[in-house]
Amino acid sequence: MGDFKFPYFFDYPPYFTLQPVQDTREKQMQLWKELILRYCQHHKCFIINLEQEFPLFQNLSIQRKLSFEAREMFLAALVAEGKAEWLDKAHKKCLVLWRSIQEWSEMILQLVRDNAMEDGVLTLDEIQSGDESRGTELAGIDRFVLVRALKLLEQRGKAAMFKGKAGDDEGVKFSAS
Amino acid sequence: MKRRPGISGLHSAAAARDQYRSVGENVARIRTDLLKDQLATFRTQLEEFARKHKHDIKKNPAFRAQFHEMCSKVGVDPLASNKGFWAELLGIGDFYYEIGVQIVEICLATRSHNGGLIDLNELCSMLSKKRRTSREPITTDDCLKAIDKLKVLGSGFEVFTVGKKKLVRSVPTELNKDHNQILELAEVRGFVLVEDVERALSWHPGRVIDALETLMKEGLVMIDDGHPDRKRRYWFPCVSLSSSNAEEL
Repeated sequence: MGDFKFPYFFDYPPYFTLQPVQDTREKQMQLWKELILRYCQHHKCFIINLEQEFPLFQNLSIQRKLSFEAREMFLAALVAEGKAEWLDKAHKKCLVLWRSIQEWSEMILQLVRDNAMEDGVLTLDEIQSGDESRGTELAGIDRFVLVRALKLLEQRGKAAMFKGKAGDDEGVKFSAS
Repeated sequence: MKRRPGISGLHSAAAARDQYRSVGENVARIRTDLLKDQLATFRTQLEEFARKHKHDIKKNPAFRAQFHEMCSKVGVDPLASNKGFWAELLGIGDFYYEIGVQIVEICLATRSHNGGLIDLNELCSMLSKKRRTSREPITTDDCLKAIDKLKVLGSGFEVFTVGKKKLVRSVPTELNKDHNQILELAEVRGFVLVEDVERALSWHPGRVIDALETLMKEGLVMIDDGHPDRKRRYWFPCVSLSSSNAEEL
């Protein structure tokens, strides 16, 4: 995976304070939005919970952390852009879509093609952590996101999800040929 | 050569032609060498001339034009690439033009971070990083020369000194005396607190805040409320020490 490379502004204290001047604030937001996406992608992180500590929002080496207000503002900006979604009405849990659901569904199709499973069946577990997805970006995908992506494929007639027998995992039958 | 009758005469003619040819080639070779020597001498003389009349060449466009013509006749192009004799002499040349363009690029790219003011040393170091693969190292002197050329183009670039630092301004914002004084204070740690300024300059807090707020509006200052001591710090990106900005370009 490699070490995550933090951008220059992460070590510059003022960026951890919401800037009052409009232009400066916009620049600040832009930088943080990009950083959040990149960080989440690198660490395969899908959910940010505002009521919990999230390592990205503080820099111990300069003794700074983002205020709740700032964190909420940056995430809200991502939501406005369609790069994230609130999972609750209270806006405390945020789903970060560093890949769109559409993109995830395309990746699943690619996985299916790569493994000649156009008419095959996979359990959701297998997609998340099976042999087929090992080494691909799909490995470790969040279950919720996976289901959303599969639903998209269902709409396109490329897949059909089904529940396993009691105790079995959910599965999906592909018709992707 | 007189023609001799008979076959031996023919042989002689052929031999004579050969001889002429080789003499001809020799002559040609001699002529080329001579020419080369002459050119070299001419070049040296031209350089001597340029050195002697550097001032005139720089100041007098008509004289400069004639000089250029002389140069082109002899195949010397003063505008050609490298930092060296000609560029140094005439103050023009692709080297400084190239650097100038890169300086503009760096200033534009960092403007949203530092508000259009950048420390000369930082600029120079970013420039060097940008030109990593290229031949010569860039000195602050080179930067200054290039910025000078930029000024001629009317691009609004200005270098000014505050305290121990030289700053390059790439925006029309001019700093007044109050601003400059605060900037100088900020050079020490990259930021100031209102109480620092009050104490150091014996100013009323109102005057301090006014100046700082103007600087903030210009994008030259960012606030920082995150220090454990809970005192607000005013940071000046243009005098800060990070030069990892180059990666971001």
